[in-house]
This record gives sequence, C-alpha cells and structure tokens, in this order.
Amino acid sequence: MSLTKLLENPRIWRGGSRLDTRTGLASGFAELDRCLPGGGWPTEALTEILVGHYGIGELRLLMPALARLSAEEAAPHYSEQAEPGWIAWVSPPFQPYAPALQQCGIDLSRMLVVRPKDDSELLWSAEQALSSGTCAAVLLWPETLDDQASRRLQLAAEKGHSWAIVFRPFSARHEPSAAALRLALESTEQGTRVHILKSRGGRPTVLNNLFRNKP
Amino acid sequence: MSRAWKSPVAVRDTAPTLTGKQQALPFAEPAPPPPAAVSVTPTSVRRLWFCIYLPNLPLEACRTSDEAFAIVEEQHGIYRILQTDSLAAAAGVMVGQSTNAALALLPALTLTERSPVREQQVLEQLATWLERFSSFVSIAGKNVLLLEIAGSLRLFGGLPQLRQAIAKGLEGQGFSAAMAIAPTPLGATWLARAGRRSCIRAEENLSAALRSLPLSCLHWPQGQYEALAGMGIATIGDCLRLPREGFARRFGAERLLELDRALGHLPDPRDSWRAPERFCADFEMSEEQSDRELLLNICYELLLSHEQFLLARQLGTQRLCLSFFHLKSTATELTLGSALADRSALRWFDLLKIRFETLRLPEAVIAVRLRSGLSQPLQAETARLGFNAKGGRQRRRYSIAQLAERLIARIGDQSVNAVNMVAEHRPEYAFSVQHPLSDWSANTLDGRKRVERPLWMLPEPALLPVDRGYPLHKGCRLTLLDGPERLETGWWDDNSISRDYYMAVNAAGIRLWVFRNRRRTPDWYLHGIFG
Repeated sequence: MSLTKLLENPRIWRGGSRLDTRTGLASGFAELDRCLPGGGWPTEALTEILVGHYGIGELRLLMPALARLSAEEAAPHYSEQAEPGWIAWVSPPFQPYAPALQQCGIDLSRMLVVRPKDDSELLWSAEQALSSGTCAAVLLWPETLDDQASRRLQLAAEKGHSWAIVFRPFSARHEPSAAALRLALESTEQGTRVHILKSRGGRPTVLNNLFRNKP
Repeated sequence: MSRAWKSPVAVRDTAPTLTGKQQALPFAEPAPPPPAAVSVTPTSVRRLWFCIYLPNLPLEACRTSDEAFAIVEEQHGIYRILQTDSLAAAAGVMVGQSTNAALALLPALTLTERSPVREQQVLEQLATWLERFSSFVSIAGKNVLLLEIAGSLRLFGGLPQLRQAIAKGLEGQGFSAAMAIAPTPLGATWLARAGRRSCIRAEENLSAALRSLPLSCLHWPQGQYEALAGMGIATIGDCLRLPREGFARRFGAERLLELDRALGHLPDPRDSWRAPERFCADFEMSEEQSDRELLLNICYELLLSHEQFLLARQLGTQRLCLSFFHLKSTATELTLGSALADRSALRWFDLLKIRFETLRLPEAVIAVRLRSGLSQPLQAETARLGFNAKGGRQRRRYSIAQLAERLIARIGDQSVNAVNMVAEHRPEYAFSVQHPLSDWSANTLDGRKRVERPLWMLPEPALLPVDRGYPLHKGCRLTLLDGPERLETGWWDDNSISRDYYMAVNAAGIRLWVFRNRRRTPDWYLHGIFG
C-alpha cells in the first residue's frame, strides 16, 4: 500500500494540517485564544470539557463567548427566517440561575432548558437542537458518551452550524472522542488550570491560572 | 306561441339588457336603471351551476363490499328491492321485487335497509369534498348537489378540466353521478336528472335545451303527471306553451314558479353548504390491525384529508387528537400540539412519528379517528427569494418553535422550558420557569444588584454540617471569601427569610454560595455553585 493511499484513509488524522481556516469565536480569555486555532472557540463543531466536579469554573470559561453569541445573533443583521442565537441547555446538573445568567449578558428570552429522562433522549434532543439550525450553542451534560455518539454530535453541529459543548467527567479523558476540541479543567491553589488535550489544527498545551478562583 | 309565456313583469324589465349588443358590452352604455327587485336577482350576475345528481346514492352510501348487494325499502308493509348493483341485476334481481323473491333468485345476495341518515351523511361528506372546487356548494334535496362554478373556471383551467376533475373524484370515491351545467340551478338539476350531459353556458340557449326534457325529470307528484299526460303534455316545452293563468290554477302557482326559476326568469336563491369548522374523520378497518407501519399510514391518510379540509378554509390548527379504537379496551388517545397553527400533513406526521414511537397500544386497532382542535386563520409566511439566504445555509431549517414542538412531542411538556427573571430579593423566587412557546418577554432588571450571583442554583438549599462554627463541604472546612450579604425579606407571606449569604470556596477550588440562617438555629446551607 502506497503512502498516499494510506493517507487518504479518513481514520487518519494529521496533526499538522490546518484544514480549518475558519475563525473561532473569541473566548474572552486572551491566553486561551492564542492557543486555539482560529483564535477562539471552534464553533460549528463539538467541544468537550472534562471536569472533576461541576462548578469548577466550566461555565465561567464559556460565559463570555455565550454572551457574545446571545447578543450578536439577536441583532437582525441578515434576513434569516429562522431565529439563530438560541442557547439550549440539555440536562444541566442544576438549575441555571436566571439572575446570574443575565449578569453575564445572556439573553434569557433565547434560552431553552431541556430535561430529558435518560441518555438516549438526551442525545436525541441534543442532536435535534444542533441540527435544527436555530441554536447557536447547545450545552449538554450526558451520563455517558461513546465514540459513536460524539461523532453524531459532531456531525449534527456541522450540519446545523451550531456549537456543541459537552461536559464530561475527568475520568473520560482516555475514551476516544470525535470532538474538535477537548479541554480538561483542573482546580489548583492559584486558580483554574486548563489542559488542551486535543485541538483540531492546534497543539495540546496547558494553561495555568486562566482565571483565579479567589478574588 | 310563447308570447303567452313571456308575460311576467320581471322578465319584461330585464329583457332589454339581455338582448342584442348590450349584453356583450354591458358597461359601454349605461342601461336604464332596472327596478330594485330585479337588480338583486342572481340572474343579473352571470352564474353557472354545476349539478351532480346521484341516482344510486341509497346503494352507494351503504355499500361495503364487492359482493352482490341490494337496498330494500318498506312499501306498504312489505320490504321491496329499491336498488340493486350490477351483480344482483345480472342474476335477475329487479327493482320492486319482494325480498323473498330476490333471495330465491340469488341466495348470496346481501340485503340492507335503506338508511336516509347515512345518505345524508354521505351527501354532506361529498359537499365538504366539493368545497375545494367552489366557494358555493349547495345540497338540493336528497341526492342532488349544486356548485356555482362561474368563479372557479379560471382557477381550474376551464370547464372541461373542472368537469373532469369532479368526475374523476366522484368515480374514485365510488359514486356514479349524472352531471350537467346550466345558468340556473333548477335547469342544471333537470338536465342532470334527464341524463343529458349537456353544458349550457349562455342563458339564451337554456330555454331550448329545457324544452325537450321529459316531464319525469321534474319530480312532480304522480297525480299531476297523469293529469298532464291526459292533456297530451310530454315535455317541458309542451308545458311552457300552456297559458300561465290556467296552468297555475290547475297545478298550483308553485309549479309555475319552478318553471320560471329554471328558465332564469325569476331568482332562485340557494343555501350555501357550510362544513363544520372542526375536522373529524374516522378510518374503520374490516379487521383488527396491529401493524404499526400500517397504522401510521392510515394516520397519514387522515392527516392528508385534514390538510385538504383546512386548506379549503385557509385555516390551521394547533391541536390534533388521534384515537385508536380497540375491540375490548378503551380507546388509546394521542394528542399532538403545535406552537403555530399549522395544517401541513407532513409536519403533523413528523410530530406524530415521534410520539408514535413511544405509544403503547394495549391491543390491535379496529378504527382510527382524527379530530382537530379549534381552527384558526393561518398566518401565511412569506417565502424568501433565493438570493436572500446565505449560500451555505439554504437547507431546510426549523424555527425554534418547531424545535420545541419536536422536543415536547418526544420527551414531554414539562421537560422543555425557558427561564425568566422575577423582581424578587429572595434568591429562590428570583427566577421563574416558563413554557418555551408561550408569549413572554424576558424581564430585564437593571443592574442594581451588582453582587455576583451563582450560575447554578440548587433545587433546595442543602444543609451543611458544621465543625466548631465553620461550615463543612465534603468533609473539608469552607473558606469564606466574600460576604456577608444580608437578605431579610418576604415578611408578607409564609416564606420570609433572614439569611447572611457568603461566597465560599471548598478544598477542590469550587466556589460555592452558602448562607447562614439567622432565624431559629443558625445553620449553614449550600444554595448555589458559581460554576
């Protein structure tokens, strides 16, 4: 088998190739933006965030970007009949607290909280929300997520031009995933440390103290 | 000869406008103002009536199978054959025979008693179906339907096409009909009853066509036929030759009126049939079915007729109810809701499929019924031109309402919601959960409270264990970072609070929102996580 033929195999991913030239969505953290290809979050793709405990700062990391999506897309800058700019929360572990969300700049009238009964319904809901083309971002908290499911989410995100963000326990870091970006959040004495485990078109790095927990 | 006939006053007044060039150019030269009574007659507007005469309605309304079949009716205490199908007729069963005689000829013959109720139902169904061809459908008598089609010709591409469409539709539904077209409703009816497939568009040709019709198509009482036959009168033309006064005296003014109306000399107002505003249709099966694919197909058929029903009225509906009837258990109900009034069978079918996947049917189904909720005018959406859309985004998109509908259809009404702000100091009451499809706008409260609030809220404050006055979380002492923020409010109802809120951080570096209750025992509670 010649080498070129081998490289055509879709299962082979080449780290150095920068196929993705889309600009990312600015995260609001300059240090993080520098490490991400495209200078920000890869929208229209799946982002995986691994956390040891909920509340470690995972929402704080996303809030500036979500607020931008919420505010930016709400402006009728192009005449789309569908309404983009919605943010769907699928199976959040706690109640998203409206006053805090508003403080962060999220448009509450464009927020949908979905609470499916089990994981299969959760994946179905997330896939529907992603591929519908009306949600700018879909956040989901599944119990488990296998390789196939993550691939489906990735495809749905591409199809619906939507940003899928899946939150998973830290223990899932060795499982395969189709996510374009995988981050792990770790809390230290000084603040929150962000490991970039996988970044399509980028390199794995570690960012120390992206933000501090103590004022 | 017809001078005696053309004596009514109303005719003389309208006659000048109906003759010569004035008819071709009605607006070129203002005609002398006709009397008010004449100006409102339907004949002053050009109308065209399409008559559908269903001679075999008693048979066709009750027919259920392809076997030899006949309808019986009680006449003077004896059941006699009223109508037979071709199979029975071929075996020698004739109209007027007694049931015994018919059964002797053909033992396998199915006999059913005539059901006027069923005939009326079928007639109403047909009238509803015919509403797609005309805005004016009228049920005239037991087996005649009338359509005013002058306004429909252009839409359906001309008279032959319209006629063909109606004939095809009737044939497809298993009805044999005689059809005729004339400028007056009675004229069309008579032509149809006489079996003339005529199409008379101009009023001046009507009289000639009607004159040759036999009297039998008038459906007058038998005694009058005999009297007329005794006078040597066989056709309508013969009738018209009689002196009016004498005719009215002998046969009643009613008969004279009928003739005048048929010829268009007098107005003939008709009632317009209005189908019920709510759709309800059944699909009955000859045997029980449990094949889900088949049931879905039946539902789709029902949805298609529902769409047609709404389309004819320019309406949409937000709710649909499907009932699956079983032989022994009570019916299984399935209600579908939509955020926006909709009629598209495909979209309803999409929702139905999602719900049907999880629907449990206790046993096989014998009938399916579709009922629609209150219908409402459909808000038409404006289609966009292609160049308005972005290049890559031209694929089919759902609106958020459609997405919410689909989610609700699959996972339940309570599981999909939106959140809103409430102007309230008590943290647990400062937000509300709302139905995503209801009409609401987000309350934006001003930034008075610049104190940071946690992004996650616990459903209930969780009691924290205490070690020497300090709250513990997961076995470790919490470090208080910020606070206290005292909230003491809610005295007006039973849920008053008096709390000191702190931002704390636990050993894992998670920022928590905790409070110390100032009432009763000074316990520590966890209320939120900053995330």
